[in-house]
Amino acid sequence: MPIPAKAFQRWLHGIAPNTSTSDICRVSGIKRTTLAQQLVRGKVAETTVVSISRAYNVNPVSALAAFDAYSQLTDTRPPSRSELVSQISTPDLLRAVLARSAADPGAEPAAAAPAGSSVLEPAPHATSVKNWVEAIDDGELRHRVSAATGIAPQNYSAQLTANRLAPELAVATSLAAGVAPASGLVATGLVTEAEAGWPPGARQAALDSLSDGELTTLAGDRLQTLGRALRRQEHDHEKTEKIWENLG
Amino acid sequence: MIEILQWSTLTVCGLVAVARVPSAVRGRNRTLFYIFALMTLAILLSIQAPYLAIDQALGSVNLANLLLRFVIFAAIFFVGIRVTRGFGADDAYRLLTGRIGMAVLGLTSLMVVVVFLMMDTAGSSAGLVAVAGKEDKDRDLVQYYGAAGRAYPAYVSLVLLPAMVRAVRSTLPSLVRIAAFLLGTGSVAIALTLLFPFYPPSWGAATFLINYTAVLCFVFGLALIAVASVRHRRSGPRPRTSTAK
Repeated sequence: MPIPAKAFQRWLHGIAPNTSTSDICRVSGIKRTTLAQQLVRGKVAETTVVSISRAYNVNPVSALAAFDAYSQLTDTRPPSRSELVSQISTPDLLRAVLARSAADPGAEPAAAAPAGSSVLEPAPHATSVKNWVEAIDDGELRHRVSAATGIAPQNYSAQLTANRLAPELAVATSLAAGVAPASGLVATGLVTEAEAGWPPGARQAALDSLSDGELTTLAGDRLQTLGRALRRQEHDHEKTEKIWENLG
Repeated sequence: MIEILQWSTLTVCGLVAVARVPSAVRGRNRTLFYIFALMTLAILLSIQAPYLAIDQALGSVNLANLLLRFVIFAAIFFVGIRVTRGFGADDAYRLLTGRIGMAVLGLTSLMVVVVFLMMDTAGSSAGLVAVAGKEDKDRDLVQYYGAAGRAYPAYVSLVLLPAMVRAVRSTLPSLVRIAAFLLGTGSVAIALTLLFPFYPPSWGAATFLINYTAVLCFVFGLALIAVASVRHRRSGPRPRTSTAK
């Protein structure tokens, strides 16, 4: 649920008192018309709060937590290992598989990926939303989210497939799964890992702690999903070409 | 009101046909040009004034109406072939060009010609209204003639419909899906023409509306696909993001 304009203005007065709207927009890189429109409609987007918080050196997660709809964000539990791993991109996972098989079979896992030689891409990645939900799903999660928020299951799935999730749904998903509330905001790219309180190197550590079997299975699953998506895309592409050829 | 609809449909169809001329000259999907040209001719023949002019040149025995039937048959046949080919509906393609399709085409054509010859068709009259008013026998024959003339287009559109529904529900580009929706709507409209004999006489305007809805849906649908393909070729293959090869 977007943030009510009244609450937003109270918050804004708290972090940037006596600052004009145009100055706020200039510093935070928000278009003035965008903010004006949001204020007129009475609903301010979460991204607006995040951008302004960053510009004024306020942690965006605690800024959001100041609003009623996001009060759960005050809970700063650390993310679980599977959540951390879900936020590693598929190419990075595959690189880790290759690096391990190249290293001595008996060597320590950490030695296989010497620090600095392979830095993980920052979250989010191309399928991070879906991978995150899959990582925390006990099989009934989607039902619970749908019951709690009223979103139709097919609309929820469509958002996951498109690799996006509205912030309030991301938080509702975290709550329904009983995991750290800010994780979903990392997976959707609204806030960074550091802003959500993930320790630096946490994803790398989680990756290193995976056994060879776990890592290979995970990478295999990701490859299979990617393969299916590519095949579907190619199939559609061929069909479209045929339509152009005959009716273009 | 109906006159406005008729002339504007004619204009739209004619303009699309003219727009296809350059690609027809280059040899790209010439059939599409023929389809639009045939549709333009068909609309021209269904409007009172041009009908009378053309029919009088053909001997004032309503030969122009027979010509109109076969122009419609040809146009819908080519539409069926192109669309089933383009949308990869092989089963539908076989239903049009295979033994069944040819049998339906042959039978309806034969019916149209035989009934036409049985009627006393002297005296130009658009829609054969004057012919139907002559005798009871002729009134029934005009009904049969019209039914036979609508049967083949309805057959083709019912064959096309499942493929269009599939395309609308697919993950193809949105312009293509909108086009498929238009073609599907046109197909439904043509299928509805089969029920004309059961409409109460007061629904005369409805029959016009359905006919022209069908024509406009087909013209806009086909034109939209052409527009989408031009846009696609101009922009080139889009760079892939998440699933780059």
